[in-house]
Amino acid sequence: MSVVEVARDDGATLKGVTSTVLLDLRAVEKVFADKVVLAPTDLRVDEGSFVSIVGPSGCGKSTLFNVIAGLLRPDGGSVTLQGRDVVGATGHVGYMLQKDLLVPWRTVEDNITMAARLTRRVGANDREEAREIARRYGLGEFLDHYPKALSGGMRQRVAFMRTLVTHQQLLLLDEPFGALDAQTRLDMQKWLLDVWRESGRTVLFITHDVDESIFLSDRILVMSPRPGRIVADVDNPLARPRDIDILTDPTFVALKARIMHLLHGGTS
Amino acid sequence: MRVVTPFISIGLLLLVWQAVVVGFHVKPYVAPRPLVALKAVSDNWGVLWPLVLEIIRETVFGFLGGAVIGVFFGVVMAKVRFLQRIIYPQLILSQAVPVVAIAFPLTVILGFGSVKPIIAIVIWIVFFPVTVNVLDGLSHVDQDLLNLARVYGASRWRTFIHIEVPGAVTPLFSGLKIGATYAITGAFIGELVSPPLGGTNLALYVEHANSNFDPASVYGVTLLMAAIGVAWFLLVAGAGTLATPWERRSVARRWRRRSIAAPQVDH
Ligand SMILES: Nc1ncnc2c1ncn2[C@@H]1O[C@H](COP(=O)(O)OP(=O)(O)O)[C@@H](O)[C@H]1O
Ligand SMILES: [Mg+2]
Repeated sequence: MSVVEVARDDGATLKGVTSTVLLDLRAVEKVFADKVVLAPTDLRVDEGSFVSIVGPSGCGKSTLFNVIAGLLRPDGGSVTLQGRDVVGATGHVGYMLQKDLLVPWRTVEDNITMAARLTRRVGANDREEAREIARRYGLGEFLDHYPKALSGGMRQRVAFMRTLVTHQQLLLLDEPFGALDAQTRLDMQKWLLDVWRESGRTVLFITHDVDESIFLSDRILVMSPRPGRIVADVDNPLARPRDIDILTDPTFVALKARIMHLLHGGTS
Repeated sequence: MRVVTPFISIGLLLLVWQAVVVGFHVKPYVAPRPLVALKAVSDNWGVLWPLVLEIIRETVFGFLGGAVIGVFFGVVMAKVRFLQRIIYPQLILSQAVPVVAIAFPLTVILGFGSVKPIIAIVIWIVFFPVTVNVLDGLSHVDQDLLNLARVYGASRWRTFIHIEVPGAVTPLFSGLKIGATYAITGAFIGELVSPPLGGTNLALYVEHANSNFDPASVYGVTLLMAAIGVAWFLLVAGAGTLATPWERRSVARRWRRRSIAAPQVDH
């Protein structure tokens, strides 16, 4: 068994502040028909942090998310969220994909309250919250619109609001901006950072865009295929709040070079 | 404009008919002029209208029955895979059998002279396109969307009601529209094989007109039935448009707007 040890032993103390581990994966493993898609993987994520996962297509990033979300049962290992074993359970994370998955027959407001509708009765306070969040993030005028009337960027915002109002602490975002054009994507990244800061959530973010991962996160996990595993856990020292000018910061550029090197089979 | 074009189009068809009959000197006992055919209907309206009302009733009840049964089979087959493998071939078989042939035993089973076999034949014709389309709609829900519902912790029932059912509304109406155009044909065949004992109906009326060398009445009543079929189709299509506002509108209608209306009960 080749366990790649990436869990950080200093996980409990970061920058001198005591932080709590929100998500704890130990030796999580997934095999599809004799193909090891995920080698035994350890991962600890601190509450309130923003962690990105980069890696080539097919290295098991989405599989890892599906195990955490409870869509897939791992073939080995444990998944603990807030100290609770969640293997095979659902209903404990927010989850968003590249596809917005808005339903065409519901308005923006009713799409935002979709998680509530799927689990219980939608109350007046759910609707009020949806309206409030849409207004706060610039979609107040589109509450009564059907999704098809919105641009791709707006739809992803609605999808993210739908994820936020689940009130889950951990948000799994699987290449959420992958289908957007460069300009919209940059806007969305800045927007996401604002929302993340205000909401105090913990984000696990899959991307294949190294710039995006550095711009957004506190930590970048680099994955590699055959078998899928985490080969590096890179701390991002860039100060927050960040703006686009950090894209040319020497620290940013050095970090990018290091991650690119790791992605192409190099070792740290 | 949208509403008028179908009527202009049908009017053109009548004009062509008139032109052909006049231009080629078609004998009146072969094919009457459309106006003559329509006059044959209006002249006999007193006798005809109860029969017309009757066939409309058969068409509508049969259609509604077919819609309900069609949805039932579609849902059952979509939800229970092994039942799909058993039921689907039989449903296809039911449509491969000529309706006219099946009509006779149906009459014997449900009672000669009763309205039941007529309704049954309409159901027989209508349910199939509904079943096929509902099954299709329910089987092609985006797997990622179903996964998302699971991640949220949704029950199967709520996923069905809030994701699968609304997603099948558009295909449901495709099936209903096909059924709506066929329903009147089913009612006519039913009336032919199961006339009321000692009474008459629209199909017998046409049969008598035909044997009495009265093509004007044959064509006139046929036109009338076509009009009923078209009207029923338009009604069903209109209901479909009302049921799927998101297909044509960017903004929800006012009564659907939660953000303006007072809070409503939701599931
Ligand atoms: N349900 C499944 N059955 C079999 N193989 C799968 C399944 N899901 C994913 N895989 C395989 O697992 C590997 C990792 O997939 P995925 O996690 O989606 O990769 P990534 O998100 O990093 O692109 C791929 O080779 C894919 O073909
Ligand atoms: Mg993926």
